[in-house]
Amino acid sequence: MQDRGRLGVLLVAPALAAVLVLFVYPLGYSLVTAFQAKGGGFTLGNFAKAFEFYSVDIGFTLVIIVVSTLLIALAAIAIGGYLTLGENPRAVALLRWLYRWPLFIPFVVAAQCMRTFLAKNGLMNNTFVGLGLLEVDQTTGFLDWRGIIITFVWKQTPFVALLVAGAMASLDRSTIEAARNLGAGRLRILFEILVPQVMPTLVVGLILSFVTMMSVLSVPLMISGESPTMMTVDMAFRINNYGDYGTANALGFISYLMTATCAWFYLKRQIR
Amino acid sequence: MVDYIKDFLAPRFEKTNPKAVVKAVGTGPGDGGSQKIAEKLQAQKGNAAWDVDVAVVHQKMAGDLVREGLLAPYVRDVSTGRLVTSEASKNALGTNVQGYVIPMFQSQIAIAYNPALVKNPPKSYEELAAWAKANPKKFGYNGIKGGMSGVGFVVGWVYANTPDSEKLMKGPYDANTKAKWDGALGKLKDFNRSVVITPGNAGTLDMLNRGEIAMGPVWVDMFYTWMADGKLPPNMRLQLIGPGLPGQPMYYVIPAKAANMEAAKKFVEMATSPAVQAEGIVKKFNWYPGIDAQHVKSQLDDKTWNKLFVDVTPQELASKGKVFPIKPYFDDILESYERKVLN
Repeated sequence: MQDRGRLGVLLVAPALAAVLVLFVYPLGYSLVTAFQAKGGGFTLGNFAKAFEFYSVDIGFTLVIIVVSTLLIALAAIAIGGYLTLGENPRAVALLRWLYRWPLFIPFVVAAQCMRTFLAKNGLMNNTFVGLGLLEVDQTTGFLDWRGIIITFVWKQTPFVALLVAGAMASLDRSTIEAARNLGAGRLRILFEILVPQVMPTLVVGLILSFVTMMSVLSVPLMISGESPTMMTVDMAFRINNYGDYGTANALGFISYLMTATCAWFYLKRQIR
Repeated sequence: MVDYIKDFLAPRFEKTNPKAVVKAVGTGPGDGGSQKIAEKLQAQKGNAAWDVDVAVVHQKMAGDLVREGLLAPYVRDVSTGRLVTSEASKNALGTNVQGYVIPMFQSQIAIAYNPALVKNPPKSYEELAAWAKANPKKFGYNGIKGGMSGVGFVVGWVYANTPDSEKLMKGPYDANTKAKWDGALGKLKDFNRSVVITPGNAGTLDMLNRGEIAMGPVWVDMFYTWMADGKLPPNMRLQLIGPGLPGQPMYYVIPAKAANMEAAKKFVEMATSPAVQAEGIVKKFNWYPGIDAQHVKSQLDDKTWNKLFVDVTPQELASKGKVFPIKPYFDDILESYERKVLN
C-alpha cells in the first residue's frame, strides 16, 4: 500500500513540477512584484499609478469583454439551436461544417485578417460598394472598439457553440417532441426547453472565453490604435517603453481579480 | 537584419578572408534585442575572451555599453572611421560614444503623403496642424503605444512646440522641464481630435495605401520597401517637416574582449565601406547610409540615389533629421502624453 502511494506521488510529480515552475512560481512572482517598489520594499505606488493612468482602460477592457461575452452567448445559442432544431438538412450540414473554422485560427491571424477586412476601404466595405449597397463616401471603418468586439466574437463563438451544440444534441429529444406536440414554436423551444437545460455548459464555455479574451494582446494592438485601449496593451507598453514591471504587474493583478471572480463562479458550478 | 549579415555580408567577408567563418545570431527586434546582447556581455565580463566579435545595437543600449566599459574603442583602427562625422556617431541619446561606434545605417521618420490628395504638403508642424484641422480625419499616426513612427511624431511635436528642444536632445536632465509642456500637449490633444489614430507603423502605411488617410508619419526605409514590394502606390511622396523629426541609427560595435578582435575590425571596415554601404544598406534595404552620404553617392547610380534623396535632400536630412531625446526626457515625454493627451 505504501509503495503504491509512493508510486502515485512519483507519477504526479512531473505534472506537479511543471505546474509549480511554469504557473505557480511566475504567478506568485508577478503578484509580489506588483506590491514592490523599484528598490524593493512594500508599496501601493504601482496600483496608484495603474489607476491614475489606466482607470479608463480598465473600465474599457471590462465593457469590451462583457459585451463580447454576451454576443458570443447569443451567437452560440443561435448556432446550437439551429443545429438541433433546424429542419433543412442541407443548411444544417453546411452550418455544422462552417461554424468551426475560426477555432483553428490563432488570434493574431484573426486580427490580421480583420485589419484588412474591416478597414474603411477594406474588403467588407469594398464589397458593399461593389454591390451597389453603399456609396464610397458612406463607408466607415470598424478599426476601433467595434473591430475588437467583432474579432473576439468571431473567434470565440465556435468554441462556445461547439460545447453548447454538443450539450443540446445529447439532450433527451422527447422533451422537444413533447413541446412541439403542444404547439410550441422553434424559438420558444430553444429558449424555454433547450437553453435552460444546457445552461451549465453554456456558462462554463462563456467563462473560459472571458478568461481567454482578457489575455489577448494581438487583437487590440492590431485592430485599434485608439485610446482607450485594453489593459494588455498598457502592460506591454509599460514594460517595453519604461522597463516598468511594477505597474505592469499591478495591472496584471487587477486583471487576475477580474478573471478570479469568473473562476470562482466556474468552480462553484463544478463542485455542485 | 540577420539575413543581411548572413546572405550579404558573410559571403563577401569569407571570400576575402578564406579562414574566417561568419556566424550571425539574431537576438530579436527593438531595444529588447539589444538588451539581450548587453546581458550576454555582462555575464562574460570576468572571462579572458568573449564570444561575440561584432554586435549591432540600438542607440539606447550603445550608451549603456560604453558607460559599463564593455566596448572596444576600435574606430581609430578602422580606415572607414574617417568617413563618419555625423552627430549620431558621437552622441547616443546623451552619452558620448565617439570612437566606440560606427553607424550601420541611419533610419529616419518623415511624413508620407498622397500627392493626388495633397497638392501642397505642409512644411512644418505648424502648417501640418492647420492642414489637419482643415482636412479632418485625413492625417493618421499611430499614437505612442503602436510603434516608433508615432512615438517619433510626438517627440517631434514636443521639439516643435517647446522652447528648449536642444536640451531634450543633449541634456542635462532637469525633472522640472516637463512642467512647461502643458501647452504643447494640450495642442496635441486638440490636434488628435481631427486625426485618425492608426494601428501601428504598418497600420499607417496600410491606410495610406487604401486611401483612407492622405498623410502620416512613417519610417523612410519601410516606406520605400513597401513601395518596392507593390504594397504602396509608386506616386506616394515624403516630406521631412520642420523643425524636424527624429531618426535613429543602429551601430556596429566590438566588445572590449572580443576573441577575434582583428577579424572583427576587418569585418566592420568592410561593412562600412562606401561600396557595401551603397549596395547593401541603400540599395537593398532603403536605409540611409551609416557613413557620411557624400562618400556613398559616387558608388550609386542616379536612379537609386534619387529615390532615396529626391524627396528628402541630404541638406534637409542634416538640418531636420533630429535625434531622439535623452532617456529621462524620452520617458517624461511618453508619460506626459499618457497623462495629458490620453486621459
